[in-house]
Amino acid sequence: MKQEIALNINGDTHELLVSPNQTLLEVLRDNLGLMGTKRGCDLGACGACTVLLEGEAYLSCLMLAMDAVDKEIVTIEGLGGRGNLDPLQSAFVEQGGLQCGFCTPGMILTAKAMLSEEDHPTEDIIKKRMAGNLCRCTGYKKVIEALQSVSEQTAEEE
Amino acid sequence: MRLPKFEYVEPKSIEEACSILSDEPSAKILAGGTDLLANMKHRVEVPSILANIKRISGLDFIRQDNGAIRIGALTPLKRLYKTTLVTEKVPALSSAAASVGSYHHQTMGTLGGNLCQQNRCKYFNQSQWWRSAREPCFKVGGGICHVVNKKEICYSSYCGDMAPILLVMNAKVVLANKGDSREISLQSLFSGDGKTPLDTKKGEILTEIVIPEEALNSFSTYSKFANRESIDFPIVGAAIWSSVQRKEHRVSFTAVDRKPIRARNIESVLKGRDLSEEIVEEVAGLASKEAALVKSSNYAPSYKRRLMEGLLRSTLKKAMRRS
Amino acid sequence: MERELTVVGNRMPMLDAAAKAKGTAQFIDDLVLPGMLHGKILRSPLPHAKILHIDTSKAEKLSGVKGVMTGADIPDRKYGIVPKAKDEYALAKTKVRYIGDEVAAVCAVDPEIAEEALELIKVDYEELPAVFDPMEAIKEGAPLVHADVQKNISASIRKEFGDVEKAFGESDFIFEDTFYSQAVNHAPLEPHGALAQYDPKGELTIWSSTQIPFFLRRNLSTTLLVPESKLRVIKPKVGGGFGQKVDLFAKDFCACWFAMNLGRPVKFIYEREEVFIGTRQRHPVYLSVKTGLTKEGNILAQQFKAYADGGAYNSTAPVMITLMGFFLMIPYKVPNLLHEGYHVYTNKPVGGAMRGHGIPQARFAVERQLDMIAERMDLDPGEIRIRNSIHAGEPHPAKFVINTCGFVDTVKKAAEGIGWAQKRGKLPFGRGVGMAGGSFPSGVSNMSHISSGAVVQLGRDGAVNILTGAADIGQGAETVIGQIVAEELGVLLEDVRVTAADTGITPLDPGTFGSGVTVRAGNAARLAAISVKNKLFEIVSEKLEASVDDLVAEKRKIYVKGSPDKGMTLSDALKTYQYGDHPMPIVGRGSWMAPTTEPTTLLKENGNFAPNYSFMTQAAEVEVDPQTGRVKLLKMAAAHDCGKMINPLLVEGQLEGSVVGGMGQALYEDVIVEKGQVMNPSFLDYGFPTTMEMPEIEAIEVETIDPLGPFGAKEAGEGTQVSPAPAIVNAIYDAIGIDFMEMPVTPEKILKALEEKKK
Repeated sequence: MKQEIALNINGDTHELLVSPNQTLLEVLRDNLGLMGTKRGCDLGACGACTVLLEGEAYLSCLMLAMDAVDKEIVTIEGLGGRGNLDPLQSAFVEQGGLQCGFCTPGMILTAKAMLSEEDHPTEDIIKKRMAGNLCRCTGYKKVIEALQSVSEQTAEEE
Repeated sequence: MRLPKFEYVEPKSIEEACSILSDEPSAKILAGGTDLLANMKHRVEVPSILANIKRISGLDFIRQDNGAIRIGALTPLKRLYKTTLVTEKVPALSSAAASVGSYHHQTMGTLGGNLCQQNRCKYFNQSQWWRSAREPCFKVGGGICHVVNKKEICYSSYCGDMAPILLVMNAKVVLANKGDSREISLQSLFSGDGKTPLDTKKGEILTEIVIPEEALNSFSTYSKFANRESIDFPIVGAAIWSSVQRKEHRVSFTAVDRKPIRARNIESVLKGRDLSEEIVEEVAGLASKEAALVKSSNYAPSYKRRLMEGLLRSTLKKAMRRS
Repeated sequence: MERELTVVGNRMPMLDAAAKAKGTAQFIDDLVLPGMLHGKILRSPLPHAKILHIDTSKAEKLSGVKGVMTGADIPDRKYGIVPKAKDEYALAKTKVRYIGDEVAAVCAVDPEIAEEALELIKVDYEELPAVFDPMEAIKEGAPLVHADVQKNISASIRKEFGDVEKAFGESDFIFEDTFYSQAVNHAPLEPHGALAQYDPKGELTIWSSTQIPFFLRRNLSTTLLVPESKLRVIKPKVGGGFGQKVDLFAKDFCACWFAMNLGRPVKFIYEREEVFIGTRQRHPVYLSVKTGLTKEGNILAQQFKAYADGGAYNSTAPVMITLMGFFLMIPYKVPNLLHEGYHVYTNKPVGGAMRGHGIPQARFAVERQLDMIAERMDLDPGEIRIRNSIHAGEPHPAKFVINTCGFVDTVKKAAEGIGWAQKRGKLPFGRGVGMAGGSFPSGVSNMSHISSGAVVQLGRDGAVNILTGAADIGQGAETVIGQIVAEELGVLLEDVRVTAADTGITPLDPGTFGSGVTVRAGNAARLAAISVKNKLFEIVSEKLEASVDDLVAEKRKIYVKGSPDKGMTLSDALKTYQYGDHPMPIVGRGSWMAPTTEPTTLLKENGNFAPNYSFMTQAAEVEVDPQTGRVKLLKMAAAHDCGKMINPLLVEGQLEGSVVGGMGQALYEDVIVEKGQVMNPSFLDYGFPTTMEMPEIEAIEVETIDPLGPFGAKEAGEGTQVSPAPAIVNAIYDAIGIDFMEMPVTPEKILKALEEKKK
C-alpha cells in the first residue's frame, strides 16, 4: 500500500507516494530523477549509493525511503552552488581523483561527511573513513591526495 | 534487487514495539538496517511487519552509572569511537566499533543491532535465485544443512565484531518486554543454535548493554582478521581481557562457532598465572579446540584454526607488553 | 612538432571530469525514456542441463508484465566477438551450460514486477553430467559442453618460432615449472546495462554500457536480423569495463527484441550478482614453462603450454589463447619459442577479455620462473632481465618491429625506486622485494576491424568538434584524443569538444580492447586535424605571403616559423577563410591502421603484430605477518615506457589502478566455484582492495618517442597490469623464502606454507 510522505532533499521538500519497501536509493532515482546517486551493488558493500543524512554518510540502498522522513538529505546534486563546484569536487577534477566517475558521487559525499567530523585528519584516518567506497579504476592514490589537499586547505583557512 | 513487501510501522515506545513482536511472530524490528535489509533483499528474512524503533527516544545513550558503563542499544557504532567516555575508559570497545564493516556501517549500525545480527553462512547469505540451485536449507525453513550435509540442524556462524570484547568484560544486556525488563549476561543471549541465534522470549527487545565496573581498568583488546581491513566480516576475531592484579585472563572468539565463544578451557589454564612467553605458547595451541569449526564460509577450518592460534598469541603478547 | 608542445604532455583533467564530479554524467541506468519498460533475465540454476519445457504462462498473466521471451522465440543465429568462434545465443535454445546461463527474459512496467514475473516462469530441466576442471574436460569420455566440440577444446594453437628442440639441446640449463593463475572478476563499479528504443520507421537505437559499439552493432544485426544501417548503438558514460563489457550480452539482445516487438523503450540493468556470474571473468589458466639458458643466463629457448579454463562459451577464445603465447616474445629475446595453447570449455562462468587478456597469466608464469631461475643460477633478478632484454632496432625472432624500447631503463629505475640493492636478500624475515618485467602491444594488428576513423570540424568561432568512434570507458580516451587534436590545430583543450562512440554519427573504431585506442584513434584524429590545419594554412599562407610548410599553429595563433610576429590570430584566420567564400566549418577526415611489414595473420606467419609496444618493470616491497599470513604490499616502484605521455595525469591513473588491480589478483581476489556455482558473487565476498590495502606507488617515467604513435605515444592502459602480480609474488619469495606457483597467494596459503616449511 503506497503512502504519502515528504522528503527533504537538497533543501527542497518533495511530497511523494512511496511503498514501504522502496529504498531511499530507489526513490531518489526512480521517483525524483536524481541520478547522481549510483547503484553499484545494492547490498551496502561499495558505497556508490552514499548520501548525506543530517551530514553523515549513509548507504541509501540499505535505507527505507520512509525512514528518511524528517531528515535532511543531501545528494551529490546538492553540492556546489549556482553551477559551481564544491572544493571537494574541484579537487577530484583537478587532481585526477576520478576516472570512470561511477564511484565518484559516493566518494565525494563520504569525504564531505568525514571532513565535517574529523579535525585535521591524518592520511591514515582519511583512508580508514574512505574504505567503504570501492573504486576499481584509480587505485585510490589520487582520491586520497585530492582529499588531503582539501583537508589541508580547510585547515589553512581556519 | 527489490525488498519484499511488508507493513511498516513506527512504534512510539519500546512497549509498543514489544507488543508488535509478541503479537506477530514474523514481525521484526528495524534498527540500522544494514544486516536485515540485505537479508531481506536475499529473501532469507521476510518479515511481515517491520517496526522501526529508531524513532523511539531514550535508546541512544552512553553514560557511566555507579561505575558501570551503560550503552543504549540504538547507539550508533560510530558514537563508540567518538565519545571520550568510551575512548578513555574502554578503548578496546572503541576500536572494535571502528573495525565493523565500513564508516557507513559504523554510522548506520547500532551496538544492539550488531550484537543481535543474524548468523551467516555461504549457503544462506545468497540471493533467492542462487539458493534455488539447492534444496532450501534448514535455516530458511527447509530440511538440510548444506555445511555438514545433515538434516534438521544449522551450522551457520556468528560473525559479529562487538560481542567478543563485551563478552570478556562480562557485559550484561537488558531485555525489555511490554513494561517489564530483565538483565542477563551477554553470554546467555546467544543460544548456540544456528537457526535462531538469540535466546530471547517472545516480544523481547534488547535495550541496553552494561559493562560492569570491574571490567574497567584492566587491559583488553579486540583483534580482527578479515580478507580486507574494511567492509568485511571477520574470518576470525579474538578479544582478551587481562587483569594482572587478579591474575585472571579472559578470551573470546567470533566467527568460529554458532555463537561467539568464551574460551573457558584456555581461561582455566591461565587462571592464577602471570602471562609469559611459555604460557602464551601453551594456550595458543589450545585455541582451536574451543570451537566447533565448520566450513560455513569460504575459509577452511584448518585456516581458522591457525588464525585463532595466531590471534590469541598476538593479543596475549600485547597484554604482556602492557603489564 | 616544429615547436614546443603546449597541450600534449600536460597533466589535464578529463573533459568530462566536472560532470562526473557533479553526478550529471549519464550512465546507462541514468537514461530514462517515456513509456520505458524494465527487463529482467532468468538464469539457469544448473550447470549443465537440457531444457525440456518452459512454462511462461503465469508470468505473462502477471499484471504489469508486457512481454516474456525464451530461446525458442529468437532466430537461430549464434554470435560471438570472434567471427569464427560464435557459439552463443542470447537465450539458451536447447540446453544450459553453466549456472547463470540465460534462459528467459521478461519486461514489465517496473523492475519489481519484472522480478516477480521471473519467479513465475517454470523451467523443466533434465540435468546432464557436468565438468568443472579443464584438465578433466579434455579427457576421453568427459561430458561435452558443446556437442560439436571434441574434447571440449574450442580453440587451440601450436606455434613455433625457430627450433626449440635444437635450442634445448644447446642449453646449459633447462628449467621446467608449472603455474596456475586464478579466475578474477573485473568488478567494474557500474553493472552492465542496455536501453533500446524502436522507431516505427524500423530503426532501432540502443544505448549500451559497452566497450565495443561497432562490434555490438554488427553482432546485433546478425542476431536480430536487422541491417546494420537500421541499428544505431550509442555508448553513454561507462562506469568501468576492463574488458568485461566487450561482447554482446543478453541484456543488449533482449532489450532490442522487446523494444522491436512492443514498440516501447526497454531497459535492462544487471544486478551485481549477474555481473559476477553472467558476464565475463579473467580465464583461469594452467601454465607450464620450460626454459633453456646458457650458463651466462641468456635464454635460448622457451616452451610454453597453457590450458585456459574457458567456461561455457568462447567469447574471445582464439584470440586469448594465441596472444598468451605470442606476447611472450616481448620484452625478452626468446630466439626459439614453442607455444601450445588450449581453450577448454567447462560448465562454469565464461572467460573473456580482461585487462591484459591472457598476457598477465602468461607473464605471471614467465616472470616467476625467471626469478626462480635467477635464484638457481645465482644471478640477480634484475641482471638476468637486462641480459635478456630485446632492444629497439634489433632483428626480432618473431619479426616484431620494435622501434622504441626502454625496457632496460625500466628495470634499472624500478630497482632503484624500490631500493633493490639495499633490500634484496637483506631485509629481516617477513620483508622482501621482488620485480617483474612486462611488455604490451598498442593494439594488435592484423585482425578484422583494426582501423579507426575520425572527423574534425573547426568552426567559425575557433571551436573544434571531433567525431571519433573511440569508446571512452573512464580511461580518458576522449580527453587524450582532444589533446592530440588541440595540439595539432594549435588551440587550447577547452576549445575542443568530442562526440564519440555513436554508430549513427561517428566514424568506425573497433573499440576499447587490446589497448589500441590512443595509438589508433589518436592517430586517426591527428590525421583529421592535420587535414583541417592544411586547409586553413592554404588560405593563411596566401595572406601571410609565406609557404604552407613555414606556418605554425599555436595557442590560437598562426605564424611563420621563426617570426612569431608575422602571423595572425586563429580568429582572424577563420574570418579570412570564411570571407574567402570557403564553406564553414572546415572539415577534415582521417583514418589510421597500423602498418604491417609483411602480410600476416595471427596464426600463419611471423611478422609485426602491433604498431608499437610498451615496456615496464615493477618492483614490489612486501611485508608478511607470520601470525596471520597477511601479505601487505608496502610499495610498488613502477617504471614504464609508454612512449610520449599525452597526459601524464591520466597515464598515472592507469598505472595506479593497474598496480592495485594486480595486487588484488596476487593477494586478495578469487572467484570461488563449487560444482559450477560461484560462491562469492558479491562485493562483500569477492573482496577487491579498499583504501586500506593501498600501497605506496611510485610512478617512474621512461619516456621514448615512438615514430608510429601520435606524438610518440604508446599504450598505457593494459600493459601496466601485466607485471604487478608477479612482482608481488616474487617479493614474497624474498620475504619468507617460499616459492608460490599459483595465485592468489592468500594468508591461508602463507600460513600453511610457513607451517610446512617448519617441518
